[in-house]
Amino acid sequence: MSAPAFDLPARLEAREPGEARGLARDDVRLLVANRLDGKVVHSRFRDLPQFLAPGDLLVVNTSATLPAALPATRADGTALELRLSTPAPGRDPERFWIVELRSGDALFAAVEVAERLALPGNATVRILAPYAGVRLWLARLDLPQPLGAYLSEHGHPIRYRYVARSWPLSVYQNVYAVEPGSAEMASAGRPFTTELITRLVAGGVLVTPVTLHTGVSSQERHERPYPERYRVPEQTARLVNAVRAWGGRVIATGTTVVRALETVARPDGSVTAGAGWTNLVVTPERGLWTINGLLTGLHESESSHLDLLRAATGEELLARSYGEAIDRGYRWHEFGDSQLILGVKEQG
Amino acid sequence: MQGIVTGASRGLGLALTRALVERGWQLVVDARDGAALERAVAGLEGVVGLAGDVADPEHRRRLVEAAGEPIDLLVNNASLLGPTPLPALAAYPLEELRRVYEVNVFAPLALAQLVLSRSAETARIVNVSSDAAVEAYEGWGGYGSSKAALAQITAILGAENPGLRAYAVDPGDMRTQMQQDAFPGEDISDRPPPEESVPGLLALVEGNLPSGAYRARELVRAPA
Repeated sequence: MSAPAFDLPARLEAREPGEARGLARDDVRLLVANRLDGKVVHSRFRDLPQFLAPGDLLVVNTSATLPAALPATRADGTALELRLSTPAPGRDPERFWIVELRSGDALFAAVEVAERLALPGNATVRILAPYAGVRLWLARLDLPQPLGAYLSEHGHPIRYRYVARSWPLSVYQNVYAVEPGSAEMASAGRPFTTELITRLVAGGVLVTPVTLHTGVSSQERHERPYPERYRVPEQTARLVNAVRAWGGRVIATGTTVVRALETVARPDGSVTAGAGWTNLVVTPERGLWTINGLLTGLHESESSHLDLLRAATGEELLARSYGEAIDRGYRWHEFGDSQLILGVKEQG
Repeated sequence: MQGIVTGASRGLGLALTRALVERGWQLVVDARDGAALERAVAGLEGVVGLAGDVADPEHRRRLVEAAGEPIDLLVNNASLLGPTPLPALAAYPLEELRRVYEVNVFAPLALAQLVLSRSAETARIVNVSSDAAVEAYEGWGGYGSSKAALAQITAILGAENPGLRAYAVDPGDMRTQMQQDAFPGEDISDRPPPEESVPGLLALVEGNLPSGAYRARELVRAPA
């Protein structure tokens, strides 16, 4: 089978968080694919410490999820959902945002430039211009209060059709999330519990933060990811370089961490601190320069994330591990199971 | 820094847009041909394309609104050459002349008015002019007289608004579609590409020259 083309059976979509069934977050499964020996091992996320060694570095994205979805009403009464993706680069982030409009679970592209939609609490959003094609719009928010407070009061987390009901924002926060800014959860870290991180740290595994605030995901079509805000702090850059120097492995928790770290990486694998907007798109052709491993969820075949995954895993191993994941009933999406890819960099 | 560049799907407008993006500007740009505009701005970070005709008042309002506040820069680059082959004034169709003036004179002034109403203290307005505004070239009576009107409007805007920098800039002959339209069938490959006029425009955008009329290629001489 060819890795980037598969149909995901509905039964493999995780429709609710494990907490709903009384499970701990780290009760999800973990597929470990090692590029060095080509082996695929089936384990559980809570057994992650078995696969990491003292001196390995786990890099996590501490961006917190925003309640980025708002009910919006057109002048003719049509009910839509407004989804805030990223602030408009270079503009006032309290007011100017790149947004998506949805009707039910479908994209809604029939809005007009200059159209004004009503938002709850006497607020409005004005569509200013199309942005990067037909899916996203540059828009201006006119709110009676600061954006963060407004979203806390009126917003809810973005949810796709495979999640049957709404869940509180806390379900969409990683245990280490500290800085609100992501339109959608950086969900690779969701299975971590404070207890599991404590065990990792006690075992000599290092943990260090980066920030990457996600925009809305582009899984509907074959679209390149658009610019997102990131920050790689100085101490994280130094740690990555030190760990690489002593032969430890740099493990990215999620494709967002890959994007942030590879943005500041040089071809020799060393990194520098950095912050701003990143346009980086990782493909097999570009390759990965600094990470040695990737901890991530299971991705749909059309998502641009899969290109990154092909770069990390290689075609053959990716096809085999996804084949095994499907055969064994692994669950997909943000509430689903996980995979750990090791030996990324060593393969060049 | 944020601003508006009209007529940005090709030629000088696109070359200037690219240069401003490299310098970190956030731009709203327009062109009549939406598909060409989308192709032109694809991959240009911080650029929003809004298809439309500068002669349309609603389109102008949308441009200014999308550009945000304050607006630091307005480049009136979109122009209409008029009918081709270029007719002598004795036979110039007046309806066509009216349309040339709508695009080359009224639209730039209308956009300047909108920008002034929001950002009079900070804005720079760059109106793209032509040597046809001062030289009496046969056949250039429509386009040339419209650019002469625009140049004088620019000068008076500058006199009336001390906080404003208003420039009329002649980019010089360029290897563009408009140049080809003006000289149908002629080989225009001897004209320099529009990129060679960009440094002069940037000198106006980023420098602190007094309001007035300038020639782009005399502002910055390309190193030999």
